[in-house]
Amino acid sequence: MVSNSITAESFFNASESNLSLITESDLISSDETILVGLKFKLNPGWHTYWENPGDAGAGASVVWELPPNFTATEILWPGPKKIPVEPLMTYGYEDEALLLTKITSPKVLSYPVNIRAKVSWFTCKDICLPQEGEVSIKLYQGSKSENKSTLTLREMEKTVPTDLSSPYRVNLIDNKIFLQFERENAQKITSAYFFPAEYGFISYVANQKLEKNDRSFSLELLPAEVQVKTMNLKGVLKLNLDGATEYYNLDLPLHDKADTSPPSLNLITALFFAFIGGLILNAMPCVFPILSIKILGFIEQSQGSREKIMQHGLVFSAGVLTTFLVVAGVLLFLRSTGDSIGWGYQLQSPLIISLLIYLFVAVGIVFMGNLVLGGQLAKYGVLAQSQRDLAGSFLTGVLAVVVASPCTAPFMGPALGIAFLQPGLGSLFIFLALGIGFSLPYMTLSIFPQLLSKLPKPGEWMETLKQIMAFPMWGSALWLTWVLSSQVELQSVFAVLIGALLVSVCLWLLEKTQNSQGLSRNLALFISVFLLAFSLWLIPTSYKEGPEEIERNGYEFSSERLENLRLNQQAIFLNFTADWCITCKVNEAVALNRESVKKILADKNIVYLKADWTRKDPEIASMLASYGRTGVPLYILFPSQGKPIILPELLTEDLLVGFIKKIN
Amino acid sequence: MKYLLTTLISLYIGLVQASVITDKEAPNFALMDSFGKTVSLSDFSGKNVVLEWTNHDCPFVAKHYKTGNMQSTQTYAQENDAIWLTIISSAPGTQGYVLSAKANELTASRNALPRHVLFDPEGNVGLTYGAKTTPHMYIIDAKGTLRYQGAIDDAGGRGFNLKNLLEADNYVKNALKEIQNNENITTKVSKPYGCSVKYKS
Repeated sequence: MVSNSITAESFFNASESNLSLITESDLISSDETILVGLKFKLNPGWHTYWENPGDAGAGASVVWELPPNFTATEILWPGPKKIPVEPLMTYGYEDEALLLTKITSPKVLSYPVNIRAKVSWFTCKDICLPQEGEVSIKLYQGSKSENKSTLTLREMEKTVPTDLSSPYRVNLIDNKIFLQFERENAQKITSAYFFPAEYGFISYVANQKLEKNDRSFSLELLPAEVQVKTMNLKGVLKLNLDGATEYYNLDLPLHDKADTSPPSLNLITALFFAFIGGLILNAMPCVFPILSIKILGFIEQSQGSREKIMQHGLVFSAGVLTTFLVVAGVLLFLRSTGDSIGWGYQLQSPLIISLLIYLFVAVGIVFMGNLVLGGQLAKYGVLAQSQRDLAGSFLTGVLAVVVASPCTAPFMGPALGIAFLQPGLGSLFIFLALGIGFSLPYMTLSIFPQLLSKLPKPGEWMETLKQIMAFPMWGSALWLTWVLSSQVELQSVFAVLIGALLVSVCLWLLEKTQNSQGLSRNLALFISVFLLAFSLWLIPTSYKEGPEEIERNGYEFSSERLENLRLNQQAIFLNFTADWCITCKVNEAVALNRESVKKILADKNIVYLKADWTRKDPEIASMLASYGRTGVPLYILFPSQGKPIILPELLTEDLLVGFIKKIN
Repeated sequence: MKYLLTTLISLYIGLVQASVITDKEAPNFALMDSFGKTVSLSDFSGKNVVLEWTNHDCPFVAKHYKTGNMQSTQTYAQENDAIWLTIISSAPGTQGYVLSAKANELTASRNALPRHVLFDPEGNVGLTYGAKTTPHMYIIDAKGTLRYQGAIDDAGGRGFNLKNLLEADNYVKNALKEIQNNENITTKVSKPYGCSVKYKS
């Protein structure tokens, strides 16, 4: 138990274990660092713990007593092993443990150097014995020279985890945590395990699934049963390959998921972005048709009283806001049920698209003809004239939002991304801000109707304009038919077109008989209801079978393909798009499909990846989420090395070429 | 509009809370106590309840009783009208498994103040609550909602030279006080420390 100057080793005997202090050298000179080890000898079947013991137990603690001005590092813990205690999991060392420390001498020192450690540890099997002991050693003057412990200590030092130099990342997908690593010959890894350093993020007891290919591997982890807010993913990665074992320290900030951090906005900025985004949304291509309805409305009303105009503007805004809130509510509800959805999700449903086709066809016909909708109701006095008009304004507001949904305007993307991450009320407020921004121009016009005086007086020309406006409506119907054709079989598209024809017949019948009474009117109503029901029955609800064909000059996105290309240091242009996303289609027409862009992508050997979100796709949804987005478009340029660049939502040929030129 | 808004808000908040285990409804259970009586968690609805997982031979538990720290926490709970249930999930033949007589003797000799000492030799209740260590503490409020889970105090860490337990920051006392004052609980979850619960294998 008392140290012997020659053997340089002292023992402390405890039940089922003993402790000794060993040093790399018996001699030490000034200003020198030597490796020191606390060696725990445990009886067979007994163990002691790692720094993080897992579900129960505790690692050792050491208090050093050193001569003046000597310093000691924290314990350098060698890589641990799993010690399951069903149904729990603990981490530690069996049979023997050697905890290392580096001790540095000062410039001036006196001999012999007395090093003493007070150690508190646990020796455990099915039960745990707390142990406390003191060990000491004397070192003499001289320069560092090998002794019988030198080799043991230096070998053990190699098992102390080092920082991992190759790239790795953490991805949170569907309540699972994926640790992804790049590594040459990853196929040679026979097993891998991640030892979490902290409580409350990763489950200790759950199995960790290893996936490997030539140049990378990943570990699938489950979250801890009880979650504690954690800032970093910290721990030790153990790899077994060809009989060798390697240990690496991992430390990743969690709020920087992928390589890029999603733009981190605070709630105030997000509200502001949402507001601006909503304002710009008015100028997006998908809102044009509905704008025309609204502008016509304003012109009609411009003759009315100031009060009335204001009322209409406010009711329209209320329609807009209500719809935004309903959309937000549905989105949040679906998200909570685990559905992978985002902005514009409505148009992933063939049902909604078909209904919109009927609606646009109908609105076009109403514009073209003389049908007065709702006249019947007014006659019975159920609603006073002004109220009926107000209901119309409200519905126009609703419609405006519904058709605006396929568009993401600049500023909107990050704001919506935040909205989805916001707990509680925050997200609803963001949607409200978006709605307020969207309806601001109309509200302004309502409150300052003198602005309307610039518009021409109503008259015969208005009838002409209304008829002209029918064409953008029918145009929208055509576009939706095209979107529908990528979701359902050709026969189903045809069925919807028949449905649209029946809707037209309905409207014609109603218009033809709108001034008549009795049998002919009732017959017309009866037939209309029947035709309408039949056209609804024709609507398809399921997607067509089989994958879509792959883009000619690029590849279809999959996270695995992206991962592999990234590992091969391949530059990539990733396009998140959907057929129902008009902003996407416009960008494709004005920028992506231009010859100059195709040429520079080819010249720079940049792979074009297309992630098509026309239909529901959880993989794409989670990829969008990892960049803080919930909607398309999203354009990401991955240089062969370094951080990806997120491009603006609105692209031009010059802008895109400019970005591509800048990389590499 | 107003109605719609409140509906949406309450719907959404409800969903958020459902994912936080600590603020969820605590599962009910029924166990035999050391006097042979069946005791259910629901018997105490309307009162705050503290659950203590124990194993008297575990060095950590022994230290909390020897220093009087556990008894002081029990006294605090009693003064604040909270029910204290001590639960033993040690399986027969493992450390900490006791019969009624021994359990009552331990209560008397240690001046402990549990309302009941409950036996869970099958480990069902321990596993339902995810009890990992002895001690491992849980607090359930008068409405049956789980409000705290984790260590008794912040004295955990490496080694066994635990801080002065009576001076440690006692999470259980803190949470009881905050529940009493209708305040938010500062520490809702902490890392439990101690021996592993000796479940049936």
